Amino acid sequence: MMGLSSKQLMAVGVFLVALFVIVPAVIATTGRVDFYYTLTSVALLAIASSGVWLTFYIGRINIGQGAFALIGAYVSAILVTKAGMSFWVSLPLAGLFAALVAVLIGLPILRLRGVYFAMITLVLTQVVTLTALALPITNGAKGITSIPLPSALSIFGLTIIPDFATLQNPRLAFYFTACTLMVLTFAAMYRLVNSRLGHLCRSMQQNEELASSIGVNISYIRVVVFAISSFVGGIGGAVFGSIAQSVYPSSFQVADSVNFMLNCFLGGLGYVFGPMLGTLVLYFGWDLLFEFGKYQMLIYSSVLIILMLFLPNGLLSLRISKRGGNSK
Amino acid sequence: MKRRTLVKASVAAVVAASMQISTAWAENPVLKIGFVGVTSGPAAAWGISNQRSMEARAAWLNEIGGYTIGGTTYDIEIVSFDDQKDPKRAIAGMEKMAQEGIHYVVGPNVDDGAAAVRPVAEANGIMYFPYAFPKELYTAPASNAILGMVANYQSGPAIYKYLMEEKGVKTAAFIAANESDPLSQRDGGVAAATALGIEVVSDSVTYQVDTTDFTPVLTPIMRTRPDLLVLSGVSPANAPQLIRSARELGFQGVISTETAQDASVLREGAGDLANGFISVGGASTPELASDAMREFVERYTTMFGEYNDESNTKVYALEYILETLKANPAALTDVDAFQTTMDTFEAPNPYMVGDAKLRYVGMSSFGQKRQVSVPLVVNVYQDGAFETLFVAQVD
Amino acid sequence: MEQILANGVYLGAQYAMIALGLTLIFALMNVLNFAHGQMYVLGGFVTYTFYGQMGWPFVVALAMSCITLAILGALVERFLFAPVIKRSTRDESTMLLAAAIAFFLDAVVLLVFGEKQRGVPKIVDGVFNYDFRLIMPYDRILICGLAILSIVTFILFMQYSKTGRALRALAQDRTAAQLMGVNVDRYSMVGFALGAMLAGLVGGLLVTITGVNLGMGGPTSIKAFMMVMIGGAGVISGAIAGGVILGFMEAIGLAVLSQYGDITYLLIFVSLMIFLAIRPQGLMGKPWG
Repeated sequence: MMGLSSKQLMAVGVFLVALFVIVPAVIATTGRVDFYYTLTSVALLAIASSGVWLTFYIGRINIGQGAFALIGAYVSAILVTKAGMSFWVSLPLAGLFAALVAVLIGLPILRLRGVYFAMITLVLTQVVTLTALALPITNGAKGITSIPLPSALSIFGLTIIPDFATLQNPRLAFYFTACTLMVLTFAAMYRLVNSRLGHLCRSMQQNEELASSIGVNISYIRVVVFAISSFVGGIGGAVFGSIAQSVYPSSFQVADSVNFMLNCFLGGLGYVFGPMLGTLVLYFGWDLLFEFGKYQMLIYSSVLIILMLFLPNGLLSLRISKRGGNSK
Repeated sequence: MKRRTLVKASVAAVVAASMQISTAWAENPVLKIGFVGVTSGPAAAWGISNQRSMEARAAWLNEIGGYTIGGTTYDIEIVSFDDQKDPKRAIAGMEKMAQEGIHYVVGPNVDDGAAAVRPVAEANGIMYFPYAFPKELYTAPASNAILGMVANYQSGPAIYKYLMEEKGVKTAAFIAANESDPLSQRDGGVAAATALGIEVVSDSVTYQVDTTDFTPVLTPIMRTRPDLLVLSGVSPANAPQLIRSARELGFQGVISTETAQDASVLREGAGDLANGFISVGGASTPELASDAMREFVERYTTMFGEYNDESNTKVYALEYILETLKANPAALTDVDAFQTTMDTFEAPNPYMVGDAKLRYVGMSSFGQKRQVSVPLVVNVYQDGAFETLFVAQVD
Repeated sequence: MEQILANGVYLGAQYAMIALGLTLIFALMNVLNFAHGQMYVLGGFVTYTFYGQMGWPFVVALAMSCITLAILGALVERFLFAPVIKRSTRDESTMLLAAAIAFFLDAVVLLVFGEKQRGVPKIVDGVFNYDFRLIMPYDRILICGLAILSIVTFILFMQYSKTGRALRALAQDRTAAQLMGVNVDRYSMVGFALGAMLAGLVGGLLVTITGVNLGMGGPTSIKAFMMVMIGGAGVISGAIAGGVILGFMEAIGLAVLSQYGDITYLLIFVSLMIFLAIRPQGLMGKPWG
């Protein structure tokens, strides 16, 4: 469907089966139900990170994804609690609102490059946090709490998604939601990268002036890419708000923005699936080191430094075979 | 090739080490109590004083043979999770506690984390003891959170009233960090002061948590010449700097806060300028501390090298959990039994002289008993140590 | 008014010093050192240990901070940044390394020095008070003076010493410098050590005023980034200008907007974004390619 070879299709199939059948089965047999939330987080953070990765793709270092995740979380929370909207309707709206903000902010700031763009996006994260603290609609410092779980979604009387509050195990439901969103996001990213737009992005990453001189409308492409990036950031943030059933100005902050970026570096900037692997290692790695108590941070950072020393181009640069980029 | 094996080896080492099961030390069955809070990064001081209080007390109990609940003697094990002050991680921590079969957890330390873990705690039958003040955490329909200390909207009025009557305070100014917890506490403090008839002359000045120089922040407040300067929700790191800057700017009035502070931090950071600074603490002052409290401080100091006065309050959560479980052993696995017991529970307070009691309170603030009764000890800092100003109770 | 100006000068001097080390490292190696704030914190703790705990003279403790951080900086460059830069396809990859080093230093500081806020005895007592219009404690004046002195020394060093000239050549054009016979590897290490040393120096100086705790690192790095951006990345005079400008913006903003409290910083950040959008290379930087 996307011009995939049969080998690639098989890899995708294996990945999907692993995600939706094998992982839940393994969790059910081992009883490690806490992994549902961990993996849900990984999936959601990977979605947001993929947006950051996309901005890397046009040669911009984006340390502002936390801002868009926070915007998404607030938009969804406000629509659900104040307007009584269904979470499933608020979810795309959260993404769209984040994308709209990205267009407005992106038009002036996307002219910046290198560290300047990185810094302005970093400042943006703080601006959004401070705005959330100051605005009445976000309920300021007190945050929005007691957000109901996602309600049922039915089309033409057919229930597609059940009411999460009635479910035996909402964790599993959130896991499936997050994984579905992740698969959709990364499929879209893969499609995008291999489309005409993707080729144009690559030419911009190499040399914007040159791309511009051969008739590429670079400012248009930049804004579109930034909007897509922020859209997925907003989606990731909105789902998190729904899981925590609360949103605070500190739900996403500068540290999150930096982590989204680090996920991309760790996975490898040259690979679409880099952010997914990077997020898995960075987030899950911290969890696995939980047993070390006060040495957790020391070991975590040492492992990161060692990884960087041996694989400076990301984990996926260590590929057993050429199509290894598809497997998790 | 070499690099690949190295990476593999290091990954294998990490995995192998993480598989290691934490070893229990005696043949007693182990009772696990959880802690989810921040023990690294900027706010590490809050969580670490929690965690160390719990570990010091657990080690002490285990040393004397364990803790007996319903005829079985348990060794207490503290399972700690560092949430890095990130609400998303706090949820993961609470999930981990559920996975470990833990029903009683101390923490998280901040508002957003406490709100975020609520769904997990309620779904998995976990009672948790946050150090966060939002009332919706403790009022119905919320059922599983128990406030682990005295809230600022409870201690604030007591302090302001005392200052009005004893020191003739008529005007007050509030300053808070531009973050959720301090701002909420400031709003609560302003409301309480206004209700008591104190004129609030400044309540809008805030500072970034990373401020290194408080002189420009405080200058506008000093112009309003208040009798009382309230540092709402001030972190122990910022308190000495704020005090120092205010005094150096010539402020003569009273400075107070409603959070727990550490005497040695104040001494190092502000020296004599901190004399007269009013804060809230546990039963640490010589007049109030029992022998058990003194032994606790001693054991804590031996174990970790240095005591933290914030632990005077934080020592209580674990004590409450264990005492309540002893009162009703069925609560070991059943938090509903725990909640029922809370309504009538009463036990002597081991850390305070006199006949102080451990019991659950909060009826007037939350409409249900969802707060531990910690003695509301209002301290004043004087030459490197805290002295008791007055003691009050919360109902 | 006098007070606001004095606050601005004091803040500006300390900020400029923090930004200097960061911009130096950036100019030489194109590395955005996320660990700069942690190096500053480490410098503070070293001075705390020698001056506050062991009672050595302040100046000696300050020198110990500088030496410790210079050695640390040299080692970090030699064994971490240099090999990674050589082997990575994109310069930005060093950001992950820098962040990992920041985490690592945070962990070390927590384990060695603990979680508490630390402070040292005042180096000078007393407060300068001019008719309540200008109030400045003497130790602040002294530290401010020392900061300005260090900045001037640094500029002179960069301008007239052989090492300074080599570093400037390196910053301007790495390849050309190499062709002209500059030992690039050696001077990269020296430059990084110098940048780290500046962080340690300012940490040691400020511990006497603000004290130190392990949480100060990250926010300090971010503030330093902003100053560097205002002035222009990789330009030394730009870093100084950026520091002074941010210092004055804070001093004036906090005084003028105090009744709106919550939004002072919001306005500072928003104006910074607008400024960068209009002038993407900062005040003095070269447009980035």
